[in-house]
Amino acid sequence: MTDLIIAQAFNGLVLGMIYVLLAMGLSIVWGMMDIINFAHGLFFALGAYFAFSVASWSGNFAVCLMVVPLMTALVGMLLETTLLRRLYGQNILYQILMTYGIAIAGRELIILIYGPVGKSFDQPDLFVGVVPIAGIFFPIYRIFVFGVTALLTLGMWVFIEKTRWGSIIRAGTENLKMVSCLGINISRVFTLTFGVAMAIAGLSGVLAAPMRGIEPFMGDLILGICFATVVIGGMGSFAGAVIGGLIVGLSQSMVTLIMPSASVIVIFLVMAAILLIRPRGLMGIRD
Amino acid sequence: MATPSSSFCNQRWRDYRAILTLAALFAVFPFILPYTALANEIMLFALAAAAFDLCLGYAGVMMFCQASFFGLGVYAAALTLLHLTSNLFAAIGLGVLASASLALVIGFMATTRSGSYSVLLTLAFAEMIYFIAFQWSGLTGGDNGLTGIKRPNFEIPGFFSINLQSSLAYYFFSFVFFIVAFYIIRRITLSPFGKILMAVRENEQRAQAIGYNTRLYKMLVFVIGGFFMGLAGALYCMYICFAHIHYVHFEISGNIVMMVLTGGMGTLFGPVIGAFIIVLASDLASALWDRWMLIMGLLFIFFVLFARGGLWSLFEKLLRMRPAGEKKN
Repeated sequence: MTDLIIAQAFNGLVLGMIYVLLAMGLSIVWGMMDIINFAHGLFFALGAYFAFSVASWSGNFAVCLMVVPLMTALVGMLLETTLLRRLYGQNILYQILMTYGIAIAGRELIILIYGPVGKSFDQPDLFVGVVPIAGIFFPIYRIFVFGVTALLTLGMWVFIEKTRWGSIIRAGTENLKMVSCLGINISRVFTLTFGVAMAIAGLSGVLAAPMRGIEPFMGDLILGICFATVVIGGMGSFAGAVIGGLIVGLSQSMVTLIMPSASVIVIFLVMAAILLIRPRGLMGIRD
Repeated sequence: MATPSSSFCNQRWRDYRAILTLAALFAVFPFILPYTALANEIMLFALAAAAFDLCLGYAGVMMFCQASFFGLGVYAAALTLLHLTSNLFAAIGLGVLASASLALVIGFMATTRSGSYSVLLTLAFAEMIYFIAFQWSGLTGGDNGLTGIKRPNFEIPGFFSINLQSSLAYYFFSFVFFIVAFYIIRRITLSPFGKILMAVRENEQRAQAIGYNTRLYKMLVFVIGGFFMGLAGALYCMYICFAHIHYVHFEISGNIVMMVLTGGMGTLFGPVIGAFIIVLASDLASALWDRWMLIMGLLFIFFVLFARGGLWSLFEKLLRMRPAGEKKN
């Protein structure tokens, strides 16, 4: 039984790390640009589908990991400059409606191009199999995903906390007007920030694809979970995204052991509880 | 001529005239549309859209859980008819009660935060409702839905009984509810309470400073919205004699938002036009092209960028009517 719990906890950890990546992007865009991106799930799905195309064309998973984030970042920056930019500073309603429209249109385009039926995504040959550690078998691919996501999270932390660009993002989250008064070209910062967030969302799509397969509606489900993650962790906080993602991933996988049917519902119950106890989220920096 | 009382009478009369026009239009729909079921679907979604317009267009309360209210109305009515009683009004009453209570809970949670956070919470709770409906298949029938629902007749034992089994008879039964509900929603928007809602929409902080408990008003808006969306759901359940998780799915919420957006926020009549167009278009388009939702997504983008007033504002220019509640931004 303990073996099972440990194995499942590991699964939850890996799942949680995927949520961490997604929540990070969502939270950065939200905190800085004040946009709730309903199309965030779409970019997760886009990442998976682009990976499917790139993998079938190049046959190499490493190429996917390199190229796909660039592709989703490009799509994201394109959308930001053509559509989202027109709505900054306006009623949030229009941004929600716009990104929701993008999410629907994108999902339908995916179905149009790839078909409505899901596809399976083979695990890269290098990572097939399991590693026994202390009598418990850990799938190699999941270990790999954990490693990549942990490195990426660390990288993002360094990026946000230690670089000039990161300090602009943090300052922008605190007080956007002041940042632009200091002579920083905000609109370029927005485009690039959105690009970075979409690159991470795309990458998490690539990483998740071999674990869960791909289907056109994968973005819809993950969007609700990401929102819950951000609410739990707190908006605009890096540590919040990490803690929120891990809580969500672990609670989902642990409840699966006891009562599989409640595994998704529990996420939202945790969210409701956090909301009542601490409305700003565990690490939220502002209300 | 321009004494206050005569202008008041004019206002009243214009009001009645608008409602009567609406009633007249819906009275002929079942005869001019390809089939009665379509008219019924348009009418019930028009009711849900008008209820949501009260929330969004007047009080500025955005939500993404319309499907939860509508769908719970459907489920509660279905379960009442299947397990409790075959009384028509019990089904409607419990449907409305269930979704108004849910609206109170979600409204309470969502208004702990403001702005975008609040919207996001409604979406998260809507997802939760969807998963509960999906997983609790013993009660909801899961993906198979609930079948075998019998539409009751409108009867008071010993007095009279009206057969509602034909779709036309049921159409005109729900027609009465639709017109009365629409009239009530319209009265709410014109009442002092409605003015406070608009104050909350325009400047929540200032409304607070004047002394209004804005959170309470927003919660009330949730409850009223949930009430009428639940009514639409309960009536819908007995029209289609079927309950399915599709009705609590996010897509229904999206469609209702789209109806309000295309029709024109804060106009009440606009969303009815929006419902007419969206239901009709999705009926026609879904027969022609599986991926018609793509057009829907693009329409969202189009209306946000170029036509925020919706179709009603176009209409208004033609009719030169005064807007019911002006929406800035």
